[in-house]
Amino acid sequence: MVISDETRSKIDAEIGNFPQRRGALLPALHLVHKDHGYVSTDVAKELAEIFEINPIDVMEVVSFYNLFYDRPQPRHHAHVCTNLPCSLRGARSLLRRLESHFGVRAGEATPDGKLVLGHEECLGACAYAPMMRVDDTYFEDLDFEKAKTILDGLE
Amino acid sequence: MPRITVDGEIIEVPDGRTILQALDDVGLLMNGVDIPHYCWHPKLSIDGSCRLCQVEVEGIPKLQIACNTSVQEGMAIRTDTERVRKAREGVMELLLVNHPLDCPICDQAGECKLQDYAYEYGVEASRTREPRRALKKNVDLGSTIKFDQERCILCRRCVRFCSEIPGTGELRVFNRGDASVIDVHPDFPLENDYSMNVADICPVGALTTQDFRFKIRVWFLEDAPGICTGCSNGCNVHIGVANNKVYRYVPRRNDDVNDTWICDSGRMSYKQIGGGARLKEAGVRGEAGRLENTGYEAAVREAAKRLRSMIEEHGADSVVVLASAHATNEDLFTLRRLSDGLGAGADGVAVVQGKSDALLIKADKAANAAGARALGFGPAGPVLDRIRDGRAKAAIVLGHDLLDESHLGGTEALEGLDLLIVLDVQQSALHKVADVVIPVRHAAEKYGTLTNHAGRVQRVEPAVEPAWEAWSDGEVLTLMGQALGLEGFEDGYDPAKISEWMSERVSAFAGVHLRVVGDQGRPLPGERA
Amino acid sequence: MLKVPYVTGYLSEHFGDDGFGTLSGYEARGGYRGLRQALDTSPEDLIELLKSSGLQGRGGAGFSAGMKWSFMPTDSDRPKYLVCNADESEPGSFKDRILLERAPHQIVEGILIAAWATGAEKTFIYIRGEYAFPADQVDRAVAEARERGYLGAKVMGKDFAHEIVVTRGAGAYICGEETGLLESLEGKKGLPRKKPPFPAQYGAFGMPTTVNNVETFSHVPHIVCKGADWFRGFGTEKSPGTTLFGVSGQVQRPGLFELPLGTPLDEIIFEHAAGLLEDRPVKGVIPGGMSMPILPANQLDVPMANEFLRERKTMLGTGGIMVMDDTTCMVRVACVISYFFRDESCGQCTQCREGTGWMNSIVERIERGAGEQSDLDILLDVAGKMEGQTICAFSDAAAWPIQGLLRHFREDFEAHIRGKKCPFPGSFEL
Ligand SMILES: Cc1cc2nc3c(=O)[nH]c(=O)nc-3n(C[C@H](O)[C@H](O)[C@H](O)COP(=O)(O)O)c2cc1C
Ligand code: SF4
Ligand code: SF4
Ligand code: SF4
Ligand code: FES
Ligand code: FES
Repeated sequence: MVISDETRSKIDAEIGNFPQRRGALLPALHLVHKDHGYVSTDVAKELAEIFEINPIDVMEVVSFYNLFYDRPQPRHHAHVCTNLPCSLRGARSLLRRLESHFGVRAGEATPDGKLVLGHEECLGACAYAPMMRVDDTYFEDLDFEKAKTILDGLE
Repeated sequence: MPRITVDGEIIEVPDGRTILQALDDVGLLMNGVDIPHYCWHPKLSIDGSCRLCQVEVEGIPKLQIACNTSVQEGMAIRTDTERVRKAREGVMELLLVNHPLDCPICDQAGECKLQDYAYEYGVEASRTREPRRALKKNVDLGSTIKFDQERCILCRRCVRFCSEIPGTGELRVFNRGDASVIDVHPDFPLENDYSMNVADICPVGALTTQDFRFKIRVWFLEDAPGICTGCSNGCNVHIGVANNKVYRYVPRRNDDVNDTWICDSGRMSYKQIGGGARLKEAGVRGEAGRLENTGYEAAVREAAKRLRSMIEEHGADSVVVLASAHATNEDLFTLRRLSDGLGAGADGVAVVQGKSDALLIKADKAANAAGARALGFGPAGPVLDRIRDGRAKAAIVLGHDLLDESHLGGTEALEGLDLLIVLDVQQSALHKVADVVIPVRHAAEKYGTLTNHAGRVQRVEPAVEPAWEAWSDGEVLTLMGQALGLEGFEDGYDPAKISEWMSERVSAFAGVHLRVVGDQGRPLPGERA
Repeated sequence: MLKVPYVTGYLSEHFGDDGFGTLSGYEARGGYRGLRQALDTSPEDLIELLKSSGLQGRGGAGFSAGMKWSFMPTDSDRPKYLVCNADESEPGSFKDRILLERAPHQIVEGILIAAWATGAEKTFIYIRGEYAFPADQVDRAVAEARERGYLGAKVMGKDFAHEIVVTRGAGAYICGEETGLLESLEGKKGLPRKKPPFPAQYGAFGMPTTVNNVETFSHVPHIVCKGADWFRGFGTEKSPGTTLFGVSGQVQRPGLFELPLGTPLDEIIFEHAAGLLEDRPVKGVIPGGMSMPILPANQLDVPMANEFLRERKTMLGTGGIMVMDDTTCMVRVACVISYFFRDESCGQCTQCREGTGWMNSIVERIERGAGEQSDLDILLDVAGKMEGQTICAFSDAAAWPIQGLLRHFREDFEAHIRGKKCPFPGSFEL
């Protein structure tokens, strides 16, 4: 079993919240991402068993949502919002400078596997632009120095 | 039955159906009322995504999709207005934005709905100057199907087919937006007993069968209606023929038999028609113990002659008759009369059993097992017993299904016979022990009817002519009957007449014969309930 | 503390107060009085109250909340559900996030009143996947409410059971569309459903369901406490109440301002958001989230309510106001907008799947200086083909802003085409 007993019992609790088992698939996918960072073929097979569906049902769902991945991920995701309100306040220049700081292009991972630098659509922080999301946390009212410090400080 | 108005014409349609379903039910869709559609398919759930089927519905400001709009009493629909035309044009142009313009090298050309509609709506290319999506080409989705992602218009018929018909669900849409692609899970390729149907329902050249790809341009093919002979379901097929050669079977719609599907093994059974295993020469075993080709008619006459002397020597009940469930009702009615006329010791039919499922595939691996039974041919057991215990001296055998493990399992038991007359479509081990072998026609080479497992009588007609001399079983048996001086064989063998006669003589067939069954077949009277 | 500047109204009165997010803090400021009152009122009367208040959904489409509740079947014994749409992903919108973070009990109270009115046994609060912190606040509030007996088998001791399940999206804008949301809630891809059937007949897990926006629910306790007439005292005749305007872009004080519907756009921009950075002139303003067509500088006098915005060929949407100054290249704006819609289309409908991509390719090419005059006609033509013909309103939402940009800023596009490059060196970077 790739899915831990602890996660499994959380998944079972989620299943109890929904009138149909499958309703808990997204919550379960969030949980396995916390543990593994992505959905491997084996995880997909186990989830398929838990939810009484086919592995391909799991994989097509994974492919649809931005926050789900089907391959191993760097330790962190750092996404700068580049939608209009943020762009109007310098988000894209910020991203360019972060790209050259880390020596990668948006969408690429740093060679040390620490983070993937990306851009993202509006995150609901438009009044605090520019901003970025690092994993589950928002960092707002950024400038290059602040963003660099935050990202350099990541494990 | 609500009455609706379509382009000013009032028609009555079934209740509780959507516009496309209702028009399809009454046979008008694309046959009087043209509402082009990609995602909708009569035998799959409604998707409503291609947006091509939009029509004007009186009283509703926006265009409505005909595939998902329910009919209502008094509804007025227009399919021929400028707005509708513009909407279709729009969908067509947008579909062509990412579609490769390579019809000349596409195997679907000629039966491509994209090409057809594009031509019809005058949108032969999109005005796009942007590069098209570069995607995977020539992908093996499984052992039977090749996939060209670039040609796919994402109608998702194939996806729904796999989920809803075989229930195996191998195909899915991955990603979203214009990055959407159809694919399989790498560990679960497209492998099911019905996989090749996805190529038929794909409106474009995205899915093609490994078997048919690039064999021939479809416009060289002529289409003959036929019945698959793979099992007793009797699925209706279109037989694709060019230069007297069969290139493929594709399903022919029959809502009472096979909807719009056929199984993969049935589809591939077309290969038996022209295959190298066909029996092509008549033969009579001579003094030297070898089969000699004495000419077709001479072989038939020789068979009759030897049979007569066997009867004279051992009596008629030393003869046994074994029918083939692959022969037509008319062939078998002729055999029935021959067997009865001779007073044969026993007769029956050998049917090979195989796997079955809840969808189409039936355990009886022959198209006319039910017909043989309706004509009084019982199980092969009593016939085979007589052969094994030596009571039978002579046998007339149609086909070689008696060699199957479930029957004789080999030719050994037959060696005790003094006379073995074999009529067969294909070569088999029977010919090593037979005294007379006579090649006969495949169901795709003759007129007649077949009775499927549910008692539905369906017509076959010649799609090709064998390149060697071969008659239908009925014709051979008729000549034998004549040569033996039996009654009722004087008028020769005309399948239509024989069929009609059968329907008068055999109560199971009352009123059902070749000339009345049409291209969708008819149930036997006992099955009508 | 709420970091952004804001103007308060009844929804946001206590936004500055950290205690308001807790049950005790909320109750101390009058919270849950509406629910108590509602439970003593018949569901029919509540629905009538909502109808007469004229509360319109705040999720973008502006449909009457009372009407929507009345569509829920009353004669069926199938379970009924509510869904609180907290998927907020419309670019330029952040009001729901702040409501979730600062006033979760106000939402829970609104939900419980709606549940009583519609006979729903369960509510799913579907929060966009990226809103981790807001989701924690809601989780906590729901747990507190359950603890206090406001959820469970006997809500406030009455013979009325209700449960709330908080669940999360996973990064797909289309899951904000109510039927896409329902699919996602069922553990599937968020593909909007074709209609009919409508959610009130066939909603979450096939059961009768009502979907309302976070803000819509938040208004409800106030209406119950203070009455329809009080509510109609705010806003316009046709668009009563206040709403939370989120102002972003090149203004001095980007923020969230609760103001009556019908407040003039220029008042919001120049008074509440304190005008533009460096006092630059306005070039254009998107008044209601990215799906809504832009307004040029000479139309800022428009009162922010649908009846007036429609005359200017745009709509209130989510009230997300994006302000652009005179340096802005409108072709770049088109690039950002069309990229978003290309990225977020679910891909079912031909027009939307192919049209979003095609429009995006064209505007990006024009921006690079490789455009042609005929491209502009094609853009308008494609946008026209995408309108009004698809499963959900996303396709319209993708077409309208491009039409708006060409309506008011065609010259920007033509200048790119003539000069074969972007003529706005000072514009925001792409
Ligand atoms: C593409 C699209 C995205 C939408 N996104 C949201 C959203 O994020 N939040 C929301 O409340 N409504 C959204 N809506 C509107 C919902 O479909 C629905 O109308 C709304 O949730 C109903 O609530 P209301 O009546 O309270 O506004 C969206 C609609 C469309 C077409
Ligand atoms: S492969 Fe063919 S049938 Fe399947 S979605 Fe694409 S076009 Fe439709
Ligand atoms: S189910 Fe039987 S009759 Fe139908 S295609 Fe298959 S083998 Fe042929
Ligand atoms: S309009 Fe666009 S987003 Fe909506 S269902 Fe169709 S393809 Fe999906
Ligand atoms: S545009 Fe960046 S958070 Fe909204
Ligand atoms: S056939 Fe109706 S939408 Fe595709």
